[in-house]
Amino acid sequence: MSRPPVLECAGLTKSFGTRLAVDGVGFRIAEGEVYGLLGPNGAGKTTTMKMVCGLLEPDKGSISIAGQQAIGNLEVKGLIGYVPQEVALYPDLTAYENLAFLARLYKLGRRTVAARVEEALELTELSDRRNDRLDSFSGGMKRRMNIAAGLLNHPKLLVLDEPTVGVDPQSRHAILERVQAFGREGLAVVYTTHYMEEAERVCDRVGIIDHGRLIAEGTRRELVAQLGEQDRIELNASGDLERLAEACRAVDGVSSAATAENSVHLVATEGRHLLPAILEAADAADISITSVDVVEPDLEAVFLNLTGTALRE
Amino acid sequence: MRALAIARASGRRVLRDRVALFFLIILPIVVIVVVGAVAQGFNTFRVGVVDLDGTQASRQLVAELSHASGLAVIAYPSVGSLEKAVARSEINTGVVIPRGLSTDELSARAVTVGVIAEQANSTQQAAGTRVTSVVEEFGARVEAAQFATRYGGSFVQNLSRASSLESSTPRVGLSSQVVHTSQGSLPPGYEYSAPTELVLFVFLMAIAGGATIVETRRLGMFERMSAAPVRPRTIIAGESITYVVIAAVQSLVIVAIGSVVFGVSWGNPLAAAALLILWCLVGAGAGMVAGTFFRTPEQASAMGPIVGIVFAMLGGCMWPLSIVSTTMREIGHATPQAWAVDAWTNLLSNHGDLVTISHELGILVLFALGFFGLATFRLKRMLSSRGA
Ligand SMILES: Nc1ncnc2c1ncn2[C@@H]1O[C@H](COP(=O)(O)OP(=O)(O)OP(=O)(O)O)[C@@H](O)[C@H]1O
Ligand SMILES: [Mg+2]
Repeated sequence: MSRPPVLECAGLTKSFGTRLAVDGVGFRIAEGEVYGLLGPNGAGKTTTMKMVCGLLEPDKGSISIAGQQAIGNLEVKGLIGYVPQEVALYPDLTAYENLAFLARLYKLGRRTVAARVEEALELTELSDRRNDRLDSFSGGMKRRMNIAAGLLNHPKLLVLDEPTVGVDPQSRHAILERVQAFGREGLAVVYTTHYMEEAERVCDRVGIIDHGRLIAEGTRRELVAQLGEQDRIELNASGDLERLAEACRAVDGVSSAATAENSVHLVATEGRHLLPAILEAADAADISITSVDVVEPDLEAVFLNLTGTALRE
Repeated sequence: MRALAIARASGRRVLRDRVALFFLIILPIVVIVVVGAVAQGFNTFRVGVVDLDGTQASRQLVAELSHASGLAVIAYPSVGSLEKAVARSEINTGVVIPRGLSTDELSARAVTVGVIAEQANSTQQAAGTRVTSVVEEFGARVEAAQFATRYGGSFVQNLSRASSLESSTPRVGLSSQVVHTSQGSLPPGYEYSAPTELVLFVFLMAIAGGATIVETRRLGMFERMSAAPVRPRTIIAGESITYVVIAAVQSLVIVAIGSVVFGVSWGNPLAAAALLILWCLVGAGAGMVAGTFFRTPEQASAMGPIVGIVFAMLGGCMWPLSIVSTTMREIGHATPQAWAVDAWTNLLSNHGDLVTISHELGILVLFALGFFGLATFRLKRMLSSRGA
């Protein structure tokens, strides 16, 4: 990596009581890079992000931001823009009041505060709703406000924790475009998601996290290359999916199989040639398959291959 | 300043919530008016009197009843009208002075003055007791006069001599009690209840107001604020400013209405102001602690009043701590209320000033600092170990 890292963390570990939520996670993000942290529910994404933002103290590990040691360092927080997973804003204040309040926390002058608020409203296309209270906003608009609030301090590192949850496809598209633009403008961005498509689309590099551990990392191409000649097969079916997965695992060439919502996902070498054998196995298990998809290797397949479970169960 | 930005945002939210604002202002008014009316009612009993005797001696008894503290005398023409007035609660008790109170031949035998009060009515009973004690004092002098009359002089002359002798003789048993009362607790009646109600009310409202802090916390706002370079103590300071202002406005409402409408005296102005401000700080601190301890806003608004009342009982807001056991008094002084009430007692009963209540003020400062410190510690721990 030629560009200097904006965020560099290593060995991050955090337990809640006896539950190990994050276990030795480390990665680096350079200027202008969008890094995706991809993992299922409860993988430890939010916990990792909170540690990076100085909101949770790691049990172990190190974090440096723009070359400065970050743990317990108040001033470093001024370099980070944090967009929490849950919308955190005052419902009884207007969009403008919320943003102006948060901007003041960065010790900006009165003029700068006003300018930054305008800019953030503009970027998230909420300028025309500036004087409306947050509790009159739709879910998607609140999400955009949540992002706007993370931009007020012109951060060097932008941390977005699942910013598109509950957003309609149009707004989601706009948000993803915006995130890519942040990268082009030189920001370092961490983007957590459990949507494989989002990670593939906006992230330059992706870290895959499961059960608190970073189990793979790289560009999409690098990650998919790990699969070799394997394909991902999606079987849509109804009935006992667990039994279907079981039957498929027994087929020669299938390296992993996992159930997801109304479907079973497989990773298999030369998938196309295995289809007859798989359908036969399904038949034997007395399960009717409604459709079959053979997909080019993707991050979903990588996750399935590494963990034996589907990303979204 | 970051704390001011936080105070501004939460102040704006309070101002915007019209319903909450209404109650924040109306409640102290209700408290002071109710306390005022009730306390004044208890202060004086209305006593109806029928004087069937109509002599110099009976008029003297009526005069003594009207001069007795806490009794207001109203004359009635007949026993029937008096009984009706008691039954309708127009008066708290009735006194019937029978014929023949002072005639010389009758002075040799006992005369019964009737006191009318309904058994089941505690106010009437209390009024009756008060009247009885005045009548008994009078009776003692009647006895003395009767005794003297056997040796010379008229009954009436001897009666007035007995009265003048008695008033120059200290009544040991009673007077010691009076001295004790005026030093150990606030003056009876409204003067007592107004400051203690203020102590109770401001604290209780502040703890219940912790609900707003819990809500803000659960909105994720404290976490969001600490994503900026803002320390937990700045957050606590900012939120507290709003609380102190609310408590101060409420105190002012109580003090103003108390003085203007009910003529309550609050003692030395400088000392009273210091005590009030300090009490607002203690309340705000307790509110912050509540905000960091309770899990849900509902819990805070339900538990707040309970905690507030228990502290008030222990701390002597409901009854003077001079009447409880030494142990309970010591336990009571673990609450800030006890120190605030002590300070008010000193201000109002002993004409205290800033210097004489400095000890209590000092301890209240420690309570305020302790509460703010605890709240900051809790918030810090919540933010760094679990996420608020
Ligand atoms: N405050 C907390 N107290 C106790 N356990 C917690 C706390 N926060 C998170 N956890 C646990 O830590 C693990 C990781 O949670 P985390 O929120 O980091 O997951 P996540 O990857 O963000 O999941 P999601 O996609 O659902 O947001 C989970 O098992 C969760 O139950
Ligand atoms: Mg999460």
